[in-house]
Amino acid sequence: MDLTRVLAGPYSTRILADFGAEIIKVQSKKTATGAESNTAPYFCAWNRNKSSITLDLSRLEARELFLKLVKISDVVVENFSPRVMTNWDLNYDRLKEVNAELIMLSMSGMGQTGKWKDFVAFGPTLQSLGGLTYLTSYSQDEPTGLGYAYADLVSGLYGVIAILAALEYRDKTGHGQYIDLSEYEAVCTTLGPTLMDALTNQNEVLPKGNAAGHIPAAPYGCYKCLGEDRWCVIAVFSDEEWNDLCSVMDNPTWAMEDRFSTPTKRKINEAELDTRIEKWTSKQTAEEVAKLLQEAEISSGVVQDAEDLSNDPQLLARDFFVELKHPILGTTTTDKNPIKFRGSKQESLRASPLLGEANHYVFQELLGLSENDIRSYRKKGIIA
Amino acid sequence: MRIEEKERGLLSGLRVLDLADEKAGFCSKLLADMGARVIKIEKPGGDPSRNIGPFSEGSLKSKTSLSFFYNNTNKLGITLDIEQREGKSLFLRLVKETDVIVETFPPGYLEQIDLDFKVLKKTNPEIILVSVTGFGQTGPRRDDKSCDLVASAYGGQMYVSGSPSRPPLKAFGEQSCFAASLFAATGVLLALRKRAKTGEGKHIDISLQESVTATLEHVMVRYFSERVLPRRQGSLHWNDVFTVLPCKDGFIHLTLFQQWETLIEWMDSEGMAEDLKDEKWLNEDYRQANVAHVIKILSRWTKTHQVNELFEQGQLMRFPWAPVQSPGEVLRSPQLKERNFFVDLNHPEMGSVLKCPGVPYRFSRGLIPKKKSAPSTGADNEMIYKNELGISEEELSRLISKHII
Repeated sequence: MDLTRVLAGPYSTRILADFGAEIIKVQSKKTATGAESNTAPYFCAWNRNKSSITLDLSRLEARELFLKLVKISDVVVENFSPRVMTNWDLNYDRLKEVNAELIMLSMSGMGQTGKWKDFVAFGPTLQSLGGLTYLTSYSQDEPTGLGYAYADLVSGLYGVIAILAALEYRDKTGHGQYIDLSEYEAVCTTLGPTLMDALTNQNEVLPKGNAAGHIPAAPYGCYKCLGEDRWCVIAVFSDEEWNDLCSVMDNPTWAMEDRFSTPTKRKINEAELDTRIEKWTSKQTAEEVAKLLQEAEISSGVVQDAEDLSNDPQLLARDFFVELKHPILGTTTTDKNPIKFRGSKQESLRASPLLGEANHYVFQELLGLSENDIRSYRKKGIIA
Repeated sequence: MRIEEKERGLLSGLRVLDLADEKAGFCSKLLADMGARVIKIEKPGGDPSRNIGPFSEGSLKSKTSLSFFYNNTNKLGITLDIEQREGKSLFLRLVKETDVIVETFPPGYLEQIDLDFKVLKKTNPEIILVSVTGFGQTGPRRDDKSCDLVASAYGGQMYVSGSPSRPPLKAFGEQSCFAASLFAATGVLLALRKRAKTGEGKHIDISLQESVTATLEHVMVRYFSERVLPRRQGSLHWNDVFTVLPCKDGFIHLTLFQQWETLIEWMDSEGMAEDLKDEKWLNEDYRQANVAHVIKILSRWTKTHQVNELFEQGQLMRFPWAPVQSPGEVLRSPQLKERNFFVDLNHPEMGSVLKCPGVPYRFSRGLIPKKKSAPSTGADNEMIYKNELGISEEELSRLISKHII
């Protein structure tokens, strides 16, 4: 049973849906707006392969129907503010009364405990709080951060890992359980080594743009190429790679200078080095640079935009994108799950559901309500 | 082996061999933190990922890679050269007794040394092999060299991050490796459920590039549905809803349009709402079209405040605002302290205790924090080879002298 909204929660249940779990998403006419509107492309992206029912959970009778569904479910996932489920008398203690083996996952910004538990937060808020925005910047005077809500997807992945681990545990012990997932903490786990650096060494870790930081590499960074807003990346880790890079560049005299002769010296003179490298890259396309350097076995690549990604021969060769037929939006394109099981038949993917599309199936076939019951629930605004 | 209920971890009984470098060390760490028994297998002499900074400074005996430490807590450690004939046969003996292998070698390498999935499956039909590489096991770029920077570029992360007047900006830290490890661990757990029904192992193929592209949120969604090419626009979020503004003592991450009337009332009570009080700004479309002006007036106001004033007062009024925290500030966060997010780990080599970020979930059952520090090179050789594989002291010495162990 999926009570989640917007991104982190829906992404979690989408991964389960991608691999064949039956996900029943509980929606209502009142809340199916904005990012939760069934015809919004954003909604379609995160809710494929799921079924949709309508239940106005602010109504007691709707909650009674919900509990009947909980009884026949394995997992309930929600990402409301911590108070909501309790206010509806649908917290874990209540749900386990009807289904002792149930696994319930609550996903929230701050977690279910602590004095900030009721704070409001979205993915970008948590990237700021967790240190990722500060560190992903050209300097500490100009915090920049990522151009998207990465934290929600990381949380979604943690959510599905938690559910699957709890299912393993249930298989062995017969016990269900409650899981409290904090998105703030999820962001922090992706900065583990840096947080340990700050903890252990009392180091102030500063943002450094694309500089390699602790990786002993130079040149290392993003360089301008031919064309409008076209860029490549180059990462040179060893003297051997440096020599290979020099020969790809036709051994220019500047590259033979003593100040670029060792990794340490290249690191010290990095600004100068980068200017020289960029002079060379800016005369050719990013694709050409990447090709030349990869032929010489140097880590390099193209800074791809969305259009590049949609045509990327590597992604296309691996069937990364798929077209799904949506009853209203027509053909929609989306990315497949990057978890690939070699030699297995691809799971079939369905477009996201229309609002309440599975009402008949769920209430009649799964719960055994009569046509009349359903009609009356609809009239009363319970199934609505 | 029967494990008492109260001592059972979520993944107790799951056995994992970890051949991964820094690309996917985090994958089996996720499993180890939930109770799986993970054996890290390093080449004699130690894995090169031990040489990746940051390092713990001022230690007595040796400097420790904090990156290696973080990615390998709760694991056991042995050394083994799987390229040598005897090393390979020892490895296959371990494979017989294991559920999962995580590896990050270049595609084709395992085949070259005759240890590809087919061979492993012959040894153990239930084996789950997860391979994490720059571009995956197939496709025209599968043999290309990659690293976090290359994966971020090819994956589409960099193009949409950074300031429009500056080069694209890579996410800090090895984010492509963390994302790939999260997908890899998810794949392992999915394969385990499948195996419980079919008895069959699986080979899972994870690409760093795809792990980046799969976590771009709006980018491909908008491109495919609206043919919009998302570009970098500094700290201003793609939908213009969030941005970062300066305060007296730092920076606040705030929303520009939410609860507009409350926000203007708040600013006005301090005499700082300026022309934003005008009726025309009540129209959300107008605000969106003139976002630069909204930012200008708002930042004059935020500069008169401390970050935490805006954060705490704003949260009381349900504004989803937050300080832009540095790592030092994250460490001092009262919320993380209250939830005991950081755990103490004994570090035998340093003879001290290291604090380490914990896991983001609290399970009501079965999560038993083992709190074991990352192993030193070959720390568990004796235990695994002698006690588990039954190798004699003499034989072990011989294998060590031949640099197989």
